[in-house]
Amino acid sequence: MKNSYSSLRPTRWSRWIATAVLAMMAMVVGIPGAVAQPSDDSVEGKTFVIGTDTTFAPFEFRQGGELVGIDMDLLRAIADKQGFNVEIRSLGFNAALQALSSNQVDGVIAGMSITDERKEVYDFSEPYFESGVQMAIDRNNDDIQGYEDLEGKTVVAKTGSEGESYAKSIADEYGFRVTSLDQSATMYESVKAGTAVAVVDDYPVLAYGIAQGNGLKTVTEKVPGGSYGFAVNKGQNTALLAAFNDGLAELQASGEYQQIVDEYLADPTEAAPSTFWDLLTQSLPALMKGLSNTLIVTGVSFAVAMILGLAFGFLKISNNIVLRGVATSFINLFRGTPILVWAFFFYFGLAQLIGQTVNIWVAGVLTLSLNGAAYIAEIVRGGIQSVDPGQLEASRSLGLGYGRSMQKVVIPQAFKIMTPSLINQLIIMLKDSSLLLAIGFAELLYQGQQIYAANFRVTETLLIVGIIYFVAIMALTKLANFADRRFNK
Amino acid sequence: MSDVSANGKGAPKITVKGLRKSFGSNEVLQGIDMEVAEGEVVCVIGPSGSGKSTLLRCLNKLEDITGGTVVVDGFDVTDPKVDINEVRRHVGMVFQHFNLFPHMSVAENIMLAPVELKKLSKAQARTRALELLDRVGLKEKADARPASLSGGQKQRVAIARSLAMSPGIMLFDEATSALDPEMVGEVLQVIKELADEGMTMVLVTHEMGFAREVADRVVFMADGVVCESGPPADLFGNPQQPRTQDFLSKVL
Ligand SMILES: Nc1ncnc2c1ncn2[C@@H]1O[C@H](COP(=O)(O)OP(=O)(O)O)[C@@H](O)[C@H]1O
Ligand SMILES: [Mg+2]
Repeated sequence: MKNSYSSLRPTRWSRWIATAVLAMMAMVVGIPGAVAQPSDDSVEGKTFVIGTDTTFAPFEFRQGGELVGIDMDLLRAIADKQGFNVEIRSLGFNAALQALSSNQVDGVIAGMSITDERKEVYDFSEPYFESGVQMAIDRNNDDIQGYEDLEGKTVVAKTGSEGESYAKSIADEYGFRVTSLDQSATMYESVKAGTAVAVVDDYPVLAYGIAQGNGLKTVTEKVPGGSYGFAVNKGQNTALLAAFNDGLAELQASGEYQQIVDEYLADPTEAAPSTFWDLLTQSLPALMKGLSNTLIVTGVSFAVAMILGLAFGFLKISNNIVLRGVATSFINLFRGTPILVWAFFFYFGLAQLIGQTVNIWVAGVLTLSLNGAAYIAEIVRGGIQSVDPGQLEASRSLGLGYGRSMQKVVIPQAFKIMTPSLINQLIIMLKDSSLLLAIGFAELLYQGQQIYAANFRVTETLLIVGIIYFVAIMALTKLANFADRRFNK
Repeated sequence: MSDVSANGKGAPKITVKGLRKSFGSNEVLQGIDMEVAEGEVVCVIGPSGSGKSTLLRCLNKLEDITGGTVVVDGFDVTDPKVDINEVRRHVGMVFQHFNLFPHMSVAENIMLAPVELKKLSKAQARTRALELLDRVGLKEKADARPASLSGGQKQRVAIARSLAMSPGIMLFDEATSALDPEMVGEVLQVIKELADEGMTMVLVTHEMGFAREVADRVVFMADGVVCESGPPADLFGNPQQPRTQDFLSKVL
């Protein structure tokens, strides 16, 4: 059940970060097109901008690049029935609500529980989904029939969720232990691996996971919880709200509502289990997008790191003690601190310092390139120093200046010596770019996490991601070695 | 006796006065006076560590000079305002270990300075490189890489390279010491031809026979000072200083 913090994100902090990111982006770019509609006339033929979360399966998530889920399907079906158009903006939960408050979107549908506090600011539709928490166990486990069989066992729940509070509230009564994890997908894995015997999670999330063939089954009844509603700003867009309610009633009456819900939550025995091949074809577009982002951020960062690394490498061998000190400090600073610290600093800290949001690409490139530059500076220093000093003397004795001599004589030879280390550094940077998922940068591993957060096929998805990384790195190595042979004869 | 005067062959091309050079607290050159006239060939001999290389390297300021004055081809090398790159174009230098640029072909090694310093176009520089290679008998090696050459061939290319800017002075620092004995001759032959053409040269060498043959004057250095100098016949035939006698008795 989703209040504000129980979506299906990889971790709670990364969800918070992603939400913050999107909020910032929303503020920077503005959300065009959405103007609060006058509340009197009909919705016929109009286009409404609707905000939603990024990934909260089964309500909204991406499949093959397209936004799907119960919320999305319901909203589109209702719009269809009522003759209006919707333009969906996948902003993140908090960012969507902010956008609604500032009239940048007309409504929000995001698996949002109807609460009294929210009712003070927003007008809600009739509830379109009844949530709750439920317990599930391994499909092949026949020993556990109910809570009373949990004596002395371990139950896993999601940190900070309603499932966790519910599990803890009955733990003493039934004599089980509760451990908490951050992601639904990893909770399910731990039940299948046997580290926990059961999981207590949001009912729709759990049902969807089972429908996706996560290998679990439910054994207890759902404990009723919140109801989800569609929201507009208080007193605004009343026609839209009314149309939503009418459309919803129509769908419920015709059975289409149940069809949509079943599509995501029905037991897998009815649905054909999807094969590895299906998973591959479904996830490949998103993963390729992630790979492309990974390659671009790595490539740009490497280019910047080369320039900075050369500069600091030269400072490092300069005769001037101050310049040498500057270079040494730079190298020590970035080699002596984890990349993640800088990713957070450039994305969040810097934004606060300069009072302006930082583009995630800028933050990503700064993080990777400054770290890479520190290592490249050392590679450059070592490369230059390993060139026989007689080379520089010979060039200088011909009357060439220091700069010209370095450029024509020393650096070409240094590069030849440096090339294997530089290729190595490039590959390290490519792998390090996966750390940027922590600030919500949509690189390859991030996309993988988004995918298994929606389909719960953690191992297979990670296997695919791993293979893509491996192939990309092998290809890159081959390419770099080819270039090395070609230019460093 | 440390005052070496020109032998009247021409105006002085190199004038060294009171040259001092220290590495830290180690004073390697302790006041050298020397003059080399135009067209003169001076051989510098002396025991290892006596400062011969350092003296040579001070002449084109590959080493910073601690004290005294060095005037080369009219340029005061010790003057901080002098364009040292300009001076070096007038002074060719040949190193014991050749120091050819391994990433360039033989011709490119020779073309580098004329092209980079905008003295010649690429095509002109190539023509000049081929001429110089012809002079040292290696025209057919123009497009070879230095790594494929023998030691003697490398040193001949290095000589051709240092001639590319048409210097008026040539400095040789033990140009044959790193060579196998059978290759020494071919390099000495090239040096001798240069001497015969009237090139002003300072050679640090261990080839006493060659020094006797080619030098106008021989300078014997010991412990950072010029111990004795004179025409080869005198210095080798009738050395005055005990240190010179001692040294010659060991090497001859
Ligand atoms: N770059 C340097 N740093 C410190 N000491 C040096 C350096 N170059 C030469 N020396 C010292 O100066 C002295 C003279 O060296 P060098 O001129 O090479 O002698 P030679 O060429 O006569 O053998 C030696 O004691 C040597 O160790
Ligand atoms: Mg020497």
